Amino acid sequence: MKEYILLMFSAALVNNVILGRFLGLCPTMGVTTRLDAAVGMGMATTFVMTVSALAGWTVNTLLLAPFELGYLRTITFILIIASTVQFTELVVKKVSPALFQLLGIYLPLITTNCAVLGIALLLVDARMSILSSVLFAIGSAMGFSLVLVIFAGLRERLAVMDVPRLFAGPPIAFIVVSLLALAFMGFSGMGAS
Amino acid sequence: MDELAHSTPDFSAPTMVEGIAQVVKIEGKTAWLVPEQGSSCGSCASANACGSKGIGTTASRLDNRRFRIDNDANLAVGERVVFGIRDNVLLKASITAYAIPLATLVLAGSLAQWMFGSDTITMAALFVGLVIGLGISRMEAGRLQTRGDLAPLFLRRARPGETCNS
Repeated sequence: MKEYILLMFSAALVNNVILGRFLGLCPTMGVTTRLDAAVGMGMATTFVMTVSALAGWTVNTLLLAPFELGYLRTITFILIIASTVQFTELVVKKVSPALFQLLGIYLPLITTNCAVLGIALLLVDARMSILSSVLFAIGSAMGFSLVLVIFAGLRERLAVMDVPRLFAGPPIAFIVVSLLALAFMGFSGMGAS
Repeated sequence: MDELAHSTPDFSAPTMVEGIAQVVKIEGKTAWLVPEQGSSCGSCASANACGSKGIGTTASRLDNRRFRIDNDANLAVGERVVFGIRDNVLLKASITAYAIPLATLVLAGSLAQWMFGSDTITMAALFVGLVIGLGISRMEAGRLQTRGDLAPLFLRRARPGETCNS
């Protein structure tokens, strides 16, 4: 139990997917202008990242590893992620058309999120068990969502601040995210890597 | 100090997520609307290079997101309106659609790992947990919809040239 908690803590904070591994920077800058968009994107990414980690582990263990098809891993995982996004979109639409209207906009953007592919590939390299893989993916996605929400909150406040004209917009956002990365460095060395 | 307090926005106040939509059909006292693309997708500066455009056409995606509201304001086809959803609705919807299936997936996987200690059985349990979670999500979404919690509200007619980013 302790091992799993440390694994998730490490994935979320110590090796944060955005501020530690520098993956998923596109949605970090693109979808954090509003807090509600950041929450929607974070939850959708958590779901897709977890399901694609599960599907990726399954395909790798049952198909790629036994038949020595490791060289097809990247392209297979891209296919799995795209299929997972489409599956999620179909399921949300089937579960509730009203939910699809609210959340559907964030789903296609996840297909091109390198963090999802990065985590799926990391899991295979780390040779984790299935449960550890899923929990690691959830931890990473929670870290991703946490940074999106923190950054969106900061940007909502920045929008009403008197920022010098030279720094207004993306420059001050990059400065803020770099300060956030420095803050997250405080977690270095804690938990399991 | 007082001046500062008055000039600072109240971030704790309940807010609404606003969007702009166009009326495409009127059916009695119901108006069907298609939302205009928001800043998250399609109308950002990099829209032409956006990878998400490859999945379905913009028109088909917008048509999929058609929704209806009560036409108490006598709206006409072609009119642009500002609609709103309460910001906690998005969180509620996200939890219903994503968090419930994830929770059942982890619960089923953890139980299987604890009871059998086999990766193959855990894998099967994770998929079963996901399917059960999606079933629960469906029931919960139906309940929210029946209560009207997910319904968008008509706020006002959009001003000429008004966009969701303006």
